[in-house]
Amino acid sequence: MDIAPILVTLKLASITTGILLILGTPLAWWLSQTKNKLKTVLESVVALPLVLPPTVLGFYLLMALSPDGFVGGLWATISDSPLSFSFTGLVIGSVIYSMPFVVQPLQASFEMVGKPIQQASYSLGANQFDTFINVVLPLSMRGFLVAITLGFAHTVGEFGVVLMIGGNIPEVTQVLSIVIYDHVEVLEYQQAHAYSAGLLIFSFIVLFITYSLNKKLMVRL
Amino acid sequence: MKHIKIAYKTKLNNFQLDVAFEIPDQGISVLFGPSGSGKSSVLNHVSGLDDRSDVEYAKLELNNVVYDDSENNIKLNPWLRKIAYVFQDNRLFSNMTVLQNIYFGYKRRQSTLDVNKVIEKFKIKNLLQHYPEQLSGGQKQRVSMVRALLSNPQLLIMDEPLAALDYQSREELLPYIECIHKELTIPVIYVSHDIKEVLRLADYIVVMNQGKVIDKGELANLCVSQPLLTQAEGASFILQGEVEKVFVDEKLLQIKCENQSLFITGQGVKAGDALRILIHAKDVSLCLTPAEHSSILNCIAVIVHSINDKSDGKYEITAKLGEQLIVAMISYRSVKALGLEQGKAVFAQFKATAMIK
Repeated sequence: MDIAPILVTLKLASITTGILLILGTPLAWWLSQTKNKLKTVLESVVALPLVLPPTVLGFYLLMALSPDGFVGGLWATISDSPLSFSFTGLVIGSVIYSMPFVVQPLQASFEMVGKPIQQASYSLGANQFDTFINVVLPLSMRGFLVAITLGFAHTVGEFGVVLMIGGNIPEVTQVLSIVIYDHVEVLEYQQAHAYSAGLLIFSFIVLFITYSLNKKLMVRL
Repeated sequence: MKHIKIAYKTKLNNFQLDVAFEIPDQGISVLFGPSGSGKSSVLNHVSGLDDRSDVEYAKLELNNVVYDDSENNIKLNPWLRKIAYVFQDNRLFSNMTVLQNIYFGYKRRQSTLDVNKVIEKFKIKNLLQHYPEQLSGGQKQRVSMVRALLSNPQLLIMDEPLAALDYQSREELLPYIECIHKELTIPVIYVSHDIKEVLRLADYIVVMNQGKVIDKGELANLCVSQPLLTQAEGASFILQGEVEKVFVDEKLLQIKCENQSLFITGQGVKAGDALRILIHAKDVSLCLTPAEHSSILNCIAVIVHSINDKSDGKYEITAKLGEQLIVAMISYRSVKALGLEQGKAVFAQFKATAMIK
């Protein structure tokens, strides 16, 4: 069994989750605090991947990432390699595709921490940044746990978007879900079975660990 | 004496909040009034936690330092104000132990207070390693008071800190609040709508209603000058006196008040102590001759001062006991039967409800 697709998948999911935490945390925080009218617009945009067929998202990403596209064109000015059918392109697609699975749980947990606790922190001499780092973040641990799990798992399970923009290049953009599809198409059920069962067990273990941790955290928070 | 100057003018949901007052920079100043009279909004202004959207005027001066001045666009952020806040709902950090909670403000404000002394005073030593969820409501509130105090504030504000607690926890906590008052020199703004708390704790009182200050002054003066604080539990008033004699066996105190003697059950004071007594107007009856053989111990001579028709069949009679005023709520029939009029000498009988040190 070729383990390259497994490695590509894990690498993609890890990098995507990492980027999503960096981008998603401030975005979720802003959404949880603001009364700005733009809030609803942004919330809707973030949630779009939940309702759009991955092919639609994939199609527009393909357009944008191609050397003639807006993003792809910009990329071409700073890099020799094209963005479409590359691992970087896949990361960009995954970040957009998995965005709601990270931002929404974070936003919900920030909202649950609430203004009153922040006010208590201010009144004890902690400024906004201090309060965020030392009060809000620790109290949002469960939200982060859920965000990381869902962001990671959803990226692992990604199929449609990857199919559209990934190109199925072995050891570069060929991820598990695609490999399984390829095997089924040529009736290699044995191989498809091996990958599928592995993915099933892996997903179960990840979710099981998350829910156990979540219960442990719940006692405290 | 230095003062804390507070002024605030803004629109609340259904009325205009417009207050301007000064309070002493020591002792407990109680902001008293019914729910929804704007007390909490004033606190939010003082603490800097209000998000100032449609404020017309705001000013706050503490120890000659301007914290807030809307005219000059000054508004110090809440974390820069040396003002600590004890909230009604304690707001302890649930992910931290009691010890971590109480050090939160201590570290940030570079406090130099003696932590152990305060821990000892509030009897939380055996709670330090616990998490807030393991504490009772009363314990949580005690911890939140310690947390606030240890941040070394120049002003402590307490927003109905006992309101969410049961009767027993409230009784347990009151002595700790009195201790803040007696042993630390921090001025306190205490918001309450409970008359008993007010009488027990207040040195200075600001009475609010519908967004306005309707009365203010030292509690002692306010009580003598007018039958007061009618919002809660019907009209009530306060007599001031001095303990004359303590009957330990009977748990009874004899109080000298304007050269007459009153009796009230109570303990824990000694002869010579000054005492305030809370009396509800509905508990007072008037008669023309001193009653004998009655279970009511208190019967004092007073002079009728005013008779007010309260228009619900009740008359509010105020009468002078020396320099102090008492209030009786009686029926029109009784007013007629006794032939009450201004200047008439009568006897007032009453049960004293509570003593206030």
